[in-house]
Parts: sequence; structure tokens; C-alpha cells
Amino acid sequence: MAASMRLLVRRAIRLSHKNITLTAAGAAARSDCCRGPLVCRCFSDEAEDRSTHFGFETVPETEKAKRVYKVFENVAQKYDIMNDAMSLGIHRMWKDTLLHVMHPQPGAQLLDMAGGTGDISFRFLDYIRSQEERQKRRVARSSQTPSWRDISNNYSTQDEPRESRAVVCDINKEMLKVGKQKADSLGVSAGLSWVVGDAEELPFDDDQFDIYTIAFGIRNVTHIDQALQEALRVLKPGGRFMCLEFSKVNNPILSRIYDAYSFQMIPVIGEVIAGDWKSYQYLVESIRKFPNQEEFKGMIEDAGFYCVKYYNLTGGVVALHSGFKL
Amino acid sequence: MAALLRGLRAGRTLRGLSSVVAAPSAVNPQCSSLNRGFHRAALRLQDEYKSDKPPSSSSSSSSSSTTYHEHYQAHSAEHDTAAEASQHDSASDPSAEQPERPNTSYQDQSGEHGEEYETEEQLQSRILTAALEFVPLHGWSMEAIAAGAETLGLSSASTGMFYNGAGDLVLHFIAHCNSQLTEILAEQHKQVQLGQTEPKKTADFLREAVETRLRMYIPYIETWPQAMSILLLPHNIPDCLKHLSSMVDDIWYYAGDRSTDMNWYTKRAVLTGIYNTTELVMLQDSSPDFQDTWSFLDNRIQDVVNMASSAKQVQSTGEAVVQGLMGAAVTLKNLTGLNQRR
Repeated sequence: MAASMRLLVRRAIRLSHKNITLTAAGAAARSDCCRGPLVCRCFSDEAEDRSTHFGFETVPETEKAKRVYKVFENVAQKYDIMNDAMSLGIHRMWKDTLLHVMHPQPGAQLLDMAGGTGDISFRFLDYIRSQEERQKRRVARSSQTPSWRDISNNYSTQDEPRESRAVVCDINKEMLKVGKQKADSLGVSAGLSWVVGDAEELPFDDDQFDIYTIAFGIRNVTHIDQALQEALRVLKPGGRFMCLEFSKVNNPILSRIYDAYSFQMIPVIGEVIAGDWKSYQYLVESIRKFPNQEEFKGMIEDAGFYCVKYYNLTGGVVALHSGFKL
Repeated sequence: MAALLRGLRAGRTLRGLSSVVAAPSAVNPQCSSLNRGFHRAALRLQDEYKSDKPPSSSSSSSSSSTTYHEHYQAHSAEHDTAAEASQHDSASDPSAEQPERPNTSYQDQSGEHGEEYETEEQLQSRILTAALEFVPLHGWSMEAIAAGAETLGLSSASTGMFYNGAGDLVLHFIAHCNSQLTEILAEQHKQVQLGQTEPKKTADFLREAVETRLRMYIPYIETWPQAMSILLLPHNIPDCLKHLSSMVDDIWYYAGDRSTDMNWYTKRAVLTGIYNTTELVMLQDSSPDFQDTWSFLDNRIQDVVNMASSAKQVQSTGEAVVQGLMGAAVTLKNLTGLNQRR
């Protein structure tokens, strides 16, 4: 509630700023507007459009979303192959770690933001299915000789009151299309939905989801703090926010190797396999522009999450941040 | 779609703001702790921002938090979870109108009605206490914790807060039992100080203390072997030993032990041995009301008492024997004339 009030107030500020009249509401909200480093620029800039980073370039904020859309539109078809080639298959381990840390219980509702090709959602549904099977096996083992009453109970028991559901949400229709094709070819369709939506303005009602994940997507969002607040809004109380993202490598030797690999090898692989040098140049540059683990943890805490913690994977190449809405 | 929702939300805000002006006495008696969780989060947000915002906007955020609070009441009619007393809501509604709230951590823990600010640890211990109900069904596991969280109105994803998983649940239960035992012993001690009851002999005191403590396991005795195996995992052993040693120390303290020499260690080691063996016997006991366990406990304590007295006897006998030998040696010397000085 407070979040949407702030959104409305911020929009009021932007409108009022254009009219060069600051209302009292604007003055009150300015103090919390200056929280995000990107939005601070809106009061220091004389010019009409605020600018942000697109890789190492500086572009107006309004343009960034469009250019990101173009990037992913171009790479959508070869996205999965490129992931495997660039990370040498390690991205599968990262995503599996995300699921293990998440440890979802049967009946959980997942919002897989920037889910694109649906990797996290497929793993989520698999995990839940194996959990349910394990539970059934345990129940069966403990009641080896069921009485007639138990057998009749088993027949009349209705299914889980809540089936687990995964909603894959992405701003880019091409990525969702590729994801849907993958789901069809895998034969997975139960409990999966595909929705087009912007992370800064989610098309969902409040308190809908148990878990919100965003894997390798949040660095492409123009206003990260807005995305975090939307995440807070759609999560149920007790819900968990999890973010998998490339981050700063602390070890100097590993950092040198990683930088060399990123800037020399990845755009080349991009050109060879996907035929797109620039998109992969943007990718590695955007990794460098993203805040480091501690800063991002601070941003998550500012948005209102509790028990925020991060895990470094592969020496800091990828960081898994987790926070709770309490 | 997003714009439609935005419009709906804006509409609700305006309506909510107007209804806040009216008395918030239209309280839904069946509100769940979902309200409280959200209210608490909103209050905490308000607390965090109070230093940034001037009082005028903090009152607007407090009113908006109350708005959301009422918005929840409309949606919580179908919740069957334990109903919070409506008094809590009426108590917190007027307090939410205050523009400034002291961000103190030493809140008065006068039950659930006075609780407005809760630390993460308190929330975690509440979840674990609620999870204990589900242990007979799910065992000592994350499923029990998830079921406990759900009774409090939190999503099952909040189990992720417990990095030690089932170990957290078991250790919480043990700490809870230990604090209950300490309360009971303190109460008895007070009774003795006031002269209302006779002080018990050490052996009886120990027996009753261990029996009281072990009786707390009876509701969970089916799944207790699983709990013990979790406690024996390497990363849980330090905490388990810590709880065990503090419990044994408490029992000896209330038994009146103020020793400062080796006795301190031997007494505690002995009681630890008695406690652990009795616990193991209890796991396999199938007699009515665990009578076999209590008689085993009696025998062990008798053994210890006997050993103590026999140790004393051995010592005095030993001294007597040594003196006798010395006397015999002197007599021999006299007889053989070695003692004579020439």
C-alpha cells in the first residue's frame, strides 16, 4: 500500500517537475525518492530526460527498456544454446542451487520473473513433484498394512487443496514464445502459465505468490528499486524473494581471468553462434554496471525485505540474494 | 491490465483514506494474524521511514497502513486460522494514528495484545512453537515448520529462514523444555525459601527433576529417535551439548550444590550420564506411564549415592590400612634391632 502510494506520488512529482511546480507531496516524497541512485538524477538534471547506463553507454531512461527489448528479441532463439556455451554449462548448476536453497514445499506458488525460456519454472515443478513423490512413499512405507479405514480414507481424500503453480512472466514476447515451445516439447504444461509483464509494474494483484524469483534479469530492469517494491507487493506475508544475478568477483586472480574471458571470448562466441556481437557486448558490460553483493543487499533491505542474505556461487561470479516479506 | 489494477488500487486508496476518518470500530472479529503480519510490516516500514519523512507524511503512511489493514479484513473472512482477538486491532488502530512511534526494541511482552513490534528471532520462535503441533504428523522436518508457518498466516516459503532446517526445530524444543524446567525448579526453590515446603533430599530432588524433564518428551516420544539423530549431526552437536550442560548445571544449582572443586565436574558428569541413559531407556519403554523408566532412574541414582558413600568408606579404610602397615613396619624394625642407635 505504501509502495503504491509512493509510486503514485513519484509520478505526481514527475508530472509536476515538468510543470516546474513542486507540490507539498512532492517535497515529502523527494526524501525517499533520492534513495535510488538512478532516480536521484531526476532532480540534478536540468534536461527533460534522465539518463541511465546501457552497458557502458549512457542512454536516456526511456530508451533503455526499448533497447533491452531489442537485445532479447534478437537472441531469443539461440538463448539456451548461448547460455550453455558461455557458461560452459555451469548455469545449470547455478539454477539447481537456486532451487535447493529455495526448497519449495508442495502447494507453493512461484512467480518466475524475467523467466523467459522457463528454466527456473521447469526445475521448480520437477522439485515439487519429487517432493510429493517422496512424501507419498514415506506415507506408504509407514503404513505397510493399512486397515480398511485407511484404505477407504485414501479413496476419499481429495487432492492437495492448493496445486503448486509456476507463472513465467517476461517483458519480451519472443522469449516467452521460445519458452512455450520448450514446454511443449518437454511435455510439461500442468501448473504453468505464461504472462507478459513489466517487472516495474506487475499485472498481478497483491499477496499472490509464495516465491518470487528473478534469474539473470534484474540487471536489465531500468528501475531496480521499483522492481523490488513490486516484488514486495505481490508476495504473500512470509513470502520469499530470490534473485540470481552476476556479481563482483572478489578474488583478484579469478577476477582477471573472468574479465578476460568476458570481454574477449563471450562476444566472439555470440557472433559465431547467434550472429550478434553487440547484444553479448551489452551483456558483459551490464554485468559490470550492476551493484555488488553488499550494495544490492542494501537495496533489497531498503525495499522492505527482512533476513536478507546472499550466497556467492562460483567465487562471486554469480550471487544468490534472498529476502523475506515479514 | 496493469493500468486497470493501478486504477483499482488508486480507487481503493481514496476510499480507504475516507473510511479511516470514520471510527475504525467496524472490526471483523474473524481477522487472522495475516492482518497482524502485514500491519507489523507496515508499522515497521513506518518506523524506518520516520527519520526521513516529516511528521505530516508519516501520518499519511500510518493512515495508509491502517487502510491496508482494513482492506485485509475484507479479504480475510474466509481464513480459518486462529482468530486474533479483536481487541488487538482496536488497540493498534488508535496507536497507528500516532505520528511518531518510539522504535524501541524492549517492547512490553504482555501477551499478543501488546505486541506491536517483533524482532525476526521472536517471529522465528513463534513459527517453531506453532510447528511443534505438527511434529507427530510430519516428524521433525521442514514440512512441520511449513505447516506451523501456515497456521500463523505466513507463506510456506518462510521456512527458508531456518538455515538449519529440522535442527532449528529440535533445538528450539529443547531450549523450551529447559526453560520450563528452570521455571519449575525456581518455583519450588521459592516455596522452600518461603518455608511452605520441606527441602528434599538430594537424591529425591535429582530424581524428580530428571523425571519432570523427561516427561516433557512424552507427547513426542514416537518421533523422538528422529530428533535425537538430528541432534547427533556434527553441526548440531555443539548446540546440543550446550543445552545439555546448562540443564544439568541448573538442576545441580537448585539441588543446592555450591562446590568449587573437582566435585563440580564429577557431579555434573554423573548427572549427565544418568540423564542420557534414562532417556535412551525411555525410548524403548512400553510400560504404562513409563514406570520402567522411572524405576531405572531410581536405581541409577541409588547406585550413585551408594558409590559416594562407598567411596568414603574406601578412603577411610585405605587410611586405616596404611596406618596399620606403618605400625607393622615400625614393630619389625624394633624387633630386628634396626632402630637402635649405637
